[in-house]
Amino acid sequence: MLRSFADWLAHTPLSRMMQDQLWIVPTSQSIHILAVSIVFASACMINLRLLGVGRSGRTVSELSGTLIPWMWRALAVLLLTGIIQTVTEPVRQFVTPAYWAKMTMIVIVSVMTMLYARAVRRNSPAWDSASSRPAQGKIFAVLSTLLWLAIIACGRFIAYTWSLYT
Amino acid sequence: MSINELAAAIREWPISAAVRGDIPGTEWFFPIIETLHVMALTVVAGSIAMVDLRLLGLASRDSAVSRLTKEVLPWTWTAWCVAAVFGTLLFTSRADVYVHNLQFQLKFACMGLAAINMLVFHFGAYQQIARWDASEPPASAKVAGLISLLLWTGVVFFGRWTGFTA
Repeated sequence: MLRSFADWLAHTPLSRMMQDQLWIVPTSQSIHILAVSIVFASACMINLRLLGVGRSGRTVSELSGTLIPWMWRALAVLLLTGIIQTVTEPVRQFVTPAYWAKMTMIVIVSVMTMLYARAVRRNSPAWDSASSRPAQGKIFAVLSTLLWLAIIACGRFIAYTWSLYT
Repeated sequence: MSINELAAAIREWPISAAVRGDIPGTEWFFPIIETLHVMALTVVAGSIAMVDLRLLGLASRDSAVSRLTKEVLPWTWTAWCVAAVFGTLLFTSRADVYVHNLQFQLKFACMGLAAINMLVFHFGAYQQIARWDASEPPASAKVAGLISLLLWTGVVFFGRWTGFTA
């Protein structure tokens, strides 16, 4: 059913028009990687602080308050460029397990980040000191770093595995 | 030895064949190395953008510039080294093709200019940072931030386009 939907989408006038413009996919992917840079570098800075790695700098609540809004903005760009790539090459995306694994992990890590941001907003002083920081902070840091790494890996591996499934 | 002879020689190295996937058991080397390269480069580009956006007054305005650079730039350099190691491996796979690829050349032109821009900033506006650290950066620092942002965008763009054109 997914395959027939992908085939239908690939034959719509919009998709065909985009397929004919050979610059669209590389350009969209380039913007996609720039947005991944904002999201992943921000996540790393927050998670390293939660894990207590690295030199001192901004507190957990300062980092989260500054960087998480940028992560949401970048995620909006990722969604838009992701849609462009999916509409242009629907079969490649929909038949590939790496694509669905990626989408699932994006939903999980987004919900986690939302809950984390809310927890920090509600009780900044406790989160800012290593001694009073909730234990979930370290779990969040490890899980979200691993999820983002896996999301990047799945994204790249769509390109290398899709032909195995057609 | 000319650049062509050198590139041809690199292509004869066993590591080149392994990254290319020409040796049995190495078929997945290129996608894996490329994924590691992407993971590292997103940290490079994202962390540099944090500093650039601060210089431009678009983000992290409540943190002093020196505080931000002390916190962020060690990770930038670490990630840059990781990206350079995996990038060099990718380069060896088809060195003779990459040296003649326009996008590849433009990528390194952008990175070279970004290095010059960084040095000009470091030995220029940064020397008087005590005067503007916590407030509005001077025009020369803003220009450095904008140029850096544009050049690293170029590095990411031309890097991704190399994959489509080489």
